[in-house]
Amino acid sequence: MAFSTQEDNISQSRNPYLSLRRQMITVLLGFGLIPLVLVGVLGIFTTIREIEERSLNVLNSMLRNRASTVELFLEEKLRLLQVCAESHSALELSSDAMLERMLKEMRRDKGGIVDIGLIDETGRHTAYVGPYALRDKDYSSEQWFRETMVKGRYISDVFLGFRRFPHVSVAVRKQEDGKNFVLRVSIDSDFLTSLVREGAVESNADVFILNKDGVYQTAYSPEQKLMEKAWVGAIPVHSGVRIVEMRKGAKKFYLGSVWLLGDKWVLVAKQEVPGVADILLAYPELPITFGVALVMVPILALYVARLRLRQLRALERRHAELLEAVSHSQKIAAIGRLAAGIAHEINNPLAIIQAQVGVLMDTLEDHPEVPFADDFKARIKKIENQIARASTITHRLLGFSRRVGPQVEPVDLAEALDETLGFVEKEIETSNIKIEKAYEKDLPLVRTSLARVQQVFLNLINNAIDALGGSGGVIRVAVQKSLDGVEVIIEDNGKGIPKSDLPKIFEPFWTTKTGNKEHTGLGLAICADIMRSVGGTIRVESEEGKGTRFTLWFPLESPMV
Amino acid sequence: MASIRMLVVDDESEFLEPLLQRLKRRGVECTGATSGEEAVELLKKTDYDVAVVDVKMPGMNGLDLLRWIRREKPATAVILLTGHASVELGIQGMELGAFEYLLKPVDVDELLDVALRASAGLKLP
Repeated sequence: MAFSTQEDNISQSRNPYLSLRRQMITVLLGFGLIPLVLVGVLGIFTTIREIEERSLNVLNSMLRNRASTVELFLEEKLRLLQVCAESHSALELSSDAMLERMLKEMRRDKGGIVDIGLIDETGRHTAYVGPYALRDKDYSSEQWFRETMVKGRYISDVFLGFRRFPHVSVAVRKQEDGKNFVLRVSIDSDFLTSLVREGAVESNADVFILNKDGVYQTAYSPEQKLMEKAWVGAIPVHSGVRIVEMRKGAKKFYLGSVWLLGDKWVLVAKQEVPGVADILLAYPELPITFGVALVMVPILALYVARLRLRQLRALERRHAELLEAVSHSQKIAAIGRLAAGIAHEINNPLAIIQAQVGVLMDTLEDHPEVPFADDFKARIKKIENQIARASTITHRLLGFSRRVGPQVEPVDLAEALDETLGFVEKEIETSNIKIEKAYEKDLPLVRTSLARVQQVFLNLINNAIDALGGSGGVIRVAVQKSLDGVEVIIEDNGKGIPKSDLPKIFEPFWTTKTGNKEHTGLGLAICADIMRSVGGTIRVESEEGKGTRFTLWFPLESPMV
Repeated sequence: MASIRMLVVDDESEFLEPLLQRLKRRGVECTGATSGEEAVELLKKTDYDVAVVDVKMPGMNGLDLLRWIRREKPATAVILLTGHASVELGIQGMELGAFEYLLKPVDVDELLDVALRASAGLKLP
């Protein structure tokens, strides 16, 4: 008796399930991954677009903001200078005290003003207040001076000048008594840069000012080189804020620009467009969620497929076993009908033999003088005994066929047990098994279904024979009164049942008998079912290596209809 | 032994003939019939206390005969005797009014015993 394992059953039916498993996993993965990937990709693109839009907006407003700040600052200085020039005479403007007061006034709000000076029309620096020694310098050949003399007011590009330090000249022309003067302040280019740089902080972009030729007017990073040509080149004049997308190597960026001071300078901002990798790094919850889902979907798909397949397999196995059980019971019924037919056919000739022999017997009784009458009578008696024996067999066969209907009748359980043992007499003999009977006397009859009770006895006795494994042993059967009923004990000293298997033995299709196809694993389940149906109980005690004892209890009156 | 008049109906004369002989030897006044139809003819002419009837016969079978006797000759007790033991048949026979249902082969003394009880039982008021 080898124990069947589930693996055996599975391995037999593995191949047809493999393709089903593949299909299920494919479908489940498809249903799980396709929407996931779609949502993930869509999410990333939406995020990118939103981030781009937002940075465009920031860039736009920063540029407007900075442009007006720079413009306001320079134009205010120019206006102040103009007011100063108009409200004072050339003589007044030549006094250092006056210039100092003006410088103070101009520096008041923001600073950035380095110095102030007055230059006569020959280009001579007649008055100067500031940190450099610039008095009496000749500016007649300086471009900003000539421009101012021509245009009346002028803001220069950043240049070094006599002081050898980058700055911007803001100058106005004053006309007095047919003579021209130029009043000018110089602005530290660092201050201009700081104005621009505020915007860079605001928008995380590179911000700088270029002149018409594309030369840097401000610089705060190594990339920007003051007074040198910018890598973007000259930017064509346009109105308002213009943002273009550009590419420098693998990097994409926005180049925003706005012209200011009457198209003198252009404020430029370069902002890198974040790539997918940058966005994923900036929003780690996105790739993490996606990654977790990506891992979970196949795991879930595998799990669900496995679970479904296991259920399917169990269902199929159950189905097959049920079919087998049904065909088995049909076979039994067919055998029963066949047996009944044979018994009937044999009963009639037996009756004829008995009647004929009976006449012979009667005749011999009437004529004792017939030679060898006693010998004949002895032989006839033997024939009658054999007729009785044959009819016992046929009646038993008819009894077997009777087991179709569940009629309730008074049953002597001891007799029923004996009759059942009779069915397996041959097997018991060949297996060298000893039967020990312990029947209590004066047992009450039990109203129950004989056929069903015998089925239970037969199953348990067959199990006991199997447990003894053909090597001999003892089957002990006992019938005794118990409570309000009768108890039947069928016990063997065979191999016993492992403790771990005990709770399972009454489950349908549980079997340890793998070799034999006749065993459906239904035997004990049927027993339990029948005992339930007749209102009785079945109990098992077993110890491995020592044996198994089944105890059946029958009520005196079965509740079965 | 009380004398009873018995009719034995069985299509197999090899069974019928020795059975009649044995019954006669035991002092039973008995007649045989090999078919249901023949039995009906005999019953129309004569009264019997007990009829032992085989169930399975060609033509009019045992159950048909049983019905006829219950209707036409209710004073005659019927014992069904058959080789075919089936619970349904037995129940049907008893419901139709048979006194007993016996299985072949039956001991002649046992049959006689049942027949005596049948005739006595039916004679009771």
